[in-house]
Amino acid sequence: MMRKRISRGGLWTGALAVVAVLLPQITSSAFAIDIFTRVVLFAFVGVAWNLMGGYAKQLSLGHAAYFGLGAYTSTILLIRFGISPWIGILAGGVVAMLASLPIGALCFRLRGPYFAIATIAAAQVLMLLFLKFRDFAWGAEGTTMPNLGDAPLMMQFDSKAAYYYIALALLALGLVITYAIERSWMGYYLVAVGEDEDAAEAIGVDALKMKRNVYLISAFLTALAGTFYVQYIYFIDPNTAFSFNVSVEAALVSIVGGIGTLWGPVVGTVLLEATSALLQSWLGSGHGGAQLTVYSLILIAVILWQPAGLIGVFTGLYQRLVAGPASKKKVPRDG
Amino acid sequence: MLETVAQAIVNGLLIGGIYALVSIGVTLIFGVVKIVNFAQGEFVMIGMYISFFLASSFGIDPLLSLIVSMPVLFVIGVVLQHFLIRRVLGLGDMPQIFLTFALSLLLVNVALLLFTANYRTVQTFYSEMTIHLGALYVPVAKLIAFAVAMVLSGALWCFLHLTDLGKAMRAAAQNRDVAMLMGINPDRVFSVAVGIALALAGAAGSLLMPFYPAYPLVGQVFVLMAFVAVVLGTLGNVTGALIASLMMGVAESLGVQFVGADSGLIVVFAMLLLTLALRPNGLFGGWAR
Repeated sequence: MMRKRISRGGLWTGALAVVAVLLPQITSSAFAIDIFTRVVLFAFVGVAWNLMGGYAKQLSLGHAAYFGLGAYTSTILLIRFGISPWIGILAGGVVAMLASLPIGALCFRLRGPYFAIATIAAAQVLMLLFLKFRDFAWGAEGTTMPNLGDAPLMMQFDSKAAYYYIALALLALGLVITYAIERSWMGYYLVAVGEDEDAAEAIGVDALKMKRNVYLISAFLTALAGTFYVQYIYFIDPNTAFSFNVSVEAALVSIVGGIGTLWGPVVGTVLLEATSALLQSWLGSGHGGAQLTVYSLILIAVILWQPAGLIGVFTGLYQRLVAGPASKKKVPRDG
Repeated sequence: MLETVAQAIVNGLLIGGIYALVSIGVTLIFGVVKIVNFAQGEFVMIGMYISFFLASSFGIDPLLSLIVSMPVLFVIGVVLQHFLIRRVLGLGDMPQIFLTFALSLLLVNVALLLFTANYRTVQTFYSEMTIHLGALYVPVAKLIAFAVAMVLSGALWCFLHLTDLGKAMRAAAQNRDVAMLMGINPDRVFSVAVGIALALAGAAGSLLMPFYPAYPLVGQVFVLMAFVAVVLGTLGNVTGALIASLMMGVAESLGVQFVGADSGLIVVFAMLLLTLALRPNGLFGGWAR
């Protein structure tokens, strides 16, 4: 039974991967590929957040700090020193990891809502600082990326699909890391810390170390997304790079999809982005606020009626319709 | 130099009174219901829009519209507690944080849909008036706002210490189970606490309207300040929140004066992070509430 289930899971993952890879071949519309790229990128940010927020239940609302640090590190290296963003993206990740140490040292003393508030403050301080750094970080005006044409070595491409594949590779990386952590001792420790920190400490889990380690990984991944994003939109300023919306969206997609699950952030992003695309086609643009109004209503509904996330609804449906009613009781729901 | 410092302190204290109304609401809800209300700033925004529309449609002075905004927000608070907050009590951090957080997102974006992002201002005869005290300038609108804020804070203190319902509220905050055993109905106490907290936010909105523009995101300025003040003043401690709010107003104002116009918030956040590092329980941790 167990073996069959795992291979079925693998089958679905494989099918999904094939579809994801073929997507840009199916449509040549730049608009569609742009939407796919954003979906995949934000799913990746959600996956990075979910490691912290989902497994260890450290509900950060300040992941924009690392998104922004990644974005600024690679951009400064590119424009001031001519260093390729391929190196910059890793440097950004390292800078984010270094920054996560002091931020974590401060914030991890706090629990629940205090922690969330402290992370907001940390991200805001970074944004305000970058607004002040006019000399080497362009201050509030920001800057555009130098257009180098089709320069794969400098992470610039003529084809939109190339960006999509980079984002897809990032998402795959995030999912593989999550999968590995979920199945390692670290994953179990993290869940233990998330369930009850004091109890975890009592049975010998070093909660602070666990939180610090997962924060390092989460910050690193979020920074990769930041570099990619500013390379993709060819522009950076503090309000884009440290946007509070990034922090919000990272948490939101994970919660709507299924907090603390491997596929939750992906499901959440696809659902929310699909909703937002539908809204756009119904209302047209120019209705500022409509998208987030609907997002927040969905979030409230999920919290009240399906706090485990919408992925639970889908696995339930799948078990009832496809796997048959008999298997429902025997197969434990996949975490 | 001394005059500049004194002027900055006066400005800071006056706006600190408004911060106090918001942060007392946050700390009251946290103390009694054990929930951090991320949407508190949005209720300030609603108070501002109520005053704005009463002023622009009926010519009612924003200060008078306190009489409307406070009861309306009180009722919203009772409804909010009854239909939303009550359902996530005891469910853990995620639902508790993200319910009010989602509510904040919802209110901001509904306001954006209904009222657009335009700044709305109300011009009153005292909006530009100032009193000269020696070398100091005291803007009248801010002085009135500060005075009313202090009166309301005092009234709340009296309510919490002198009335049965207020004492019941403090009892429920200290130990909900024992309070229930003593015959206190927690649902009623919680509803009144959230109602009062929102009424204070509504009052802050009306008081701000003569000298501050209303726009959908306006609440975020005040809620961030309130969070810092509430943490500085020890979560759940009403007097602590009041003192911390005034301190933050002064710190922000000095920051703007001496570090630069856009540095007020940096000073405030730095204060928060420093406090968290040095005194995680706030400045008044351990004091009697």
